[in-house]
Amino acid sequence: MITLSDSPVVARVADRNGCDPKFRLRSEASAPRCAAMVSQPTTAPFQLTGRKILIVDDDRLNLRILAGILKGEGYALAEADSGEKALDLYASFRPDLVLLDVMLPGIDGFETCRRLKRDHGPASAPVIFITAKSESDDVVEGLGAGGADYLPKPFKPKEVLARIRSHLQNQILSEQQKLLVDQLSKANHAKNRFLGMAAHDLRNPLASIRGLAEFLREGTAGELNPDQIDLIDTIHGAATSMLVMVNELLDVATIEAGELKLTIETHNLGDLVAKCVSMINREAAKKKTHVVYEPPPEPVLLPMDQAKVKQVVDNLLSNAVKYSPPGSTIQALVGRDPDRGSFAVRDQGPGIPENERDKLFKDFSRLSIKPTGGEKSTGLGLAICRKIVDAHHGAIVAENLPAGGCEFRFTLPTTQ
Amino acid sequence: MNFNGKILLVDDEVHIRKYVSLILKQLGKPVILEAANGQEAVDAYKANRPDFVLMDVNMPHLDGIEALRQLKEFDPACVVIMLTSLANRDTVERALELGATSYIRKDTSKEEISKALTEIIDARSDAE
Repeated sequence: MITLSDSPVVARVADRNGCDPKFRLRSEASAPRCAAMVSQPTTAPFQLTGRKILIVDDDRLNLRILAGILKGEGYALAEADSGEKALDLYASFRPDLVLLDVMLPGIDGFETCRRLKRDHGPASAPVIFITAKSESDDVVEGLGAGGADYLPKPFKPKEVLARIRSHLQNQILSEQQKLLVDQLSKANHAKNRFLGMAAHDLRNPLASIRGLAEFLREGTAGELNPDQIDLIDTIHGAATSMLVMVNELLDVATIEAGELKLTIETHNLGDLVAKCVSMINREAAKKKTHVVYEPPPEPVLLPMDQAKVKQVVDNLLSNAVKYSPPGSTIQALVGRDPDRGSFAVRDQGPGIPENERDKLFKDFSRLSIKPTGGEKSTGLGLAICRKIVDAHHGAIVAENLPAGGCEFRFTLPTTQ
Repeated sequence: MNFNGKILLVDDEVHIRKYVSLILKQLGKPVILEAANGQEAVDAYKANRPDFVLMDVNMPHLDGIEALRQLKEFDPACVVIMLTSLANRDTVERALELGATSYIRKDTSKEEISKALTEIIDARSDAE
């Protein structure tokens, strides 16, 4: 946790156009008390008073000079005269920054730094080495050992304070970002859980509504007149499209929560596509659209989760039908290379607007192009496809065809 | 098929009971007894001795798992089929360990539920 004495630092997430969240940190800190030796800094976004600094030097005079410079700034200080003592003190004092002399009795500064980073991790306090000019060649080694910076001796108080301030500020910023990322990832996790629960709880009643509508339609509760049949068909259609949406939400929630589990078995992609094509052609017939498919001469045997890959094929075929003008012909192709099998679908639709290509496989992204028969879309279908293909270590791409229309293609490796 | 046995249908959601009842009635002329929670199910089973039980997992008062345990304790030969939905996989495994005969996904289409019920009824008549 970050504690900033009397300066409220407000971290805000600005979500611009739904893309990368930008961190904006606003500080309402009053200017820090100025030390006698240093003029007031022109930019002071953070109140650093009370931050803890561990000074490690075997030269008592150096210790006294540094302590003198730093005390005036209101830092809390601890001192050690060897690397071993510094490491002990680090654990109990928990400094925000370490000033570390290179030449020390016992283990030297570089080794001390290495051990500190090893024991306390990369998020431990930044280490600034104190070096005499003659040692400046060693600085590279110091930075390699995990050091953040170095201070040349003899000290220039302004420079000492400026460097320390800069590192403490960076540290606060990175702590805040970590906290923010942490909170965001928790919020995202909660969102997925909620999405999953809500979608799941909606499934049963929706399935009942759809099933009960079928009973009515079949005349189980008495013969219906054409107007009543029309209403029941509408209810049935609405329940069906809601079920599709709810299932997609559930898929996303499951995948995002890392709960997508594949049951891998070897299946013939050619057969799988044949079944999907014959199913989609019933739907396509309503738009006088037709999907043509020539099964490959040899079986294309691939390790896959059959149900999941079928979902991808169904989705790509149904998209092709959705976005193609009525009466057009859609081509489905299955092929194989030595190390992978592929499925492609080519439509005669409007293609993908170039400036929207990067949105294509992202969650909840709908492009400016619209289904040609007023079909519904959650904007999740392709995102789910990509996640399923990724989980199979495959690849999915979309390309506009020179002759018009576009091609969606995925490839799956022959070995998982 | 003309199944005319006695079925105990247990679910706290009235729409599920209506829906599944309609599907069962398409398969014959069964006597359908309904219960809205685990406790009602156990009581109804003891009083009526149905041929088999279709039972939801998540229910108030006494849930499907506990009711299953009690039914098995009362009558180790009782046939209980769990009515489940997608997210209850772990619970279904637990139910099968406790002696449930099988399970039916109630969040699927009418055809699929009907097919699953037919299989169960067929298996029952073969057993007799």
